[in-house]
Amino acid sequence: MMFPLNFWDISLLLAVTAIILLITSELLSTHYGKVNIIINKNRLKNTAITTSILFLTTVAIRIINLLIAP
Amino acid sequence: MGKNHMRTNSAKLVYSTLITTGAAAIALSIIFTSSILAFIGLGLLFWGIIFTYIRTEEYTKKSLLDATLTSQITTCNQIAQELDYKGTPIYLPPKYFKDTKTLKAYITKQKETKLPTPEQIQAQEHQTFLKNPPALLLTPLGAELTKLFEKILDTDFTRTNINYLQQKMPKLFIQDLEIAQNFEIEPENDIIHVKIQNFQYITPSKELDLSPSNSFALDSPFTSAIASALAKTTGKPVVIEKQQASQDGKDLTIDYRTLDEEA
Repeated sequence: MMFPLNFWDISLLLAVTAIILLITSELLSTHYGKVNIIINKNRLKNTAITTSILFLTTVAIRIINLLIAP
Repeated sequence: MGKNHMRTNSAKLVYSTLITTGAAAIALSIIFTSSILAFIGLGLLFWGIIFTYIRTEEYTKKSLLDATLTSQITTCNQIAQELDYKGTPIYLPPKYFKDTKTLKAYITKQKETKLPTPEQIQAQEHQTFLKNPPALLLTPLGAELTKLFEKILDTDFTRTNINYLQQKMPKLFIQDLEIAQNFEIEPENDIIHVKIQNFQYITPSKELDLSPSNSFALDSPFTSAIASALAKTTGKPVVIEKQQASQDGKDLTIDYRTLDEEA
């Protein structure tokens, strides 16, 4: 019994989620007049940024692995 | 009330279902070594957590706010009218009071009267009806809002300047309070122009009697709060010189004037 997803799969999942969250966050931004949707937009933005950073970290780890690997 | 309670419960049910299903799918994916189940599980778990985190804050219907506020504005207005106070509300800076956290508006009996001295106000700052000079000293409608602005910005307006307001107020109105699409402050000598676009809090004073004598009713809580903030920031008494609203009331232009003590 082991977890069936590898590091790269998680990275892909993070990438898809980050894109969805970033686009949603931007579309719901108060700067475009969307002031009537009642969700916590600051938290949505923070979540989107955090997920993006997590994805970029996985990419960085991958790149470092490629550089270090013989 | 019952409907609202049901809505909260159903929202909680959705979050918890997502999280539980996600966790179950991950557990099953480990047992059956299925990557598809793992993807579904992680996805559900992730979205469940995100929905729980970004869920709706506590909101109150605007119609309810208007209903509670309208009677207060009417009362202030009636007091001013009945007692024949004709002056324009002057938002006094903290130096007029012993307690610097006090925010008050001063309405004179006569239309054109000299500004009182800080000592005159300090001597009778706990009274509503002042005798010397004859005037009303009321807590403006936006006093608590000004305190909320300070709380959100984590500052005391008395320690800031007009540049600070120019930088911070747009963010406060657009991002933090989510009540307008654009907000500008432009000082020009003793006049400070404030422009608010797509303002979501249309003043309930629109439904009230807006005859020229009802100057106090014209000041909505937000215009009043901005006036109080300007009085605190500039350290000078402030009056609302001119207010203009678009047809739908969503675009506002307000001119505030700072008064010099000698005036």
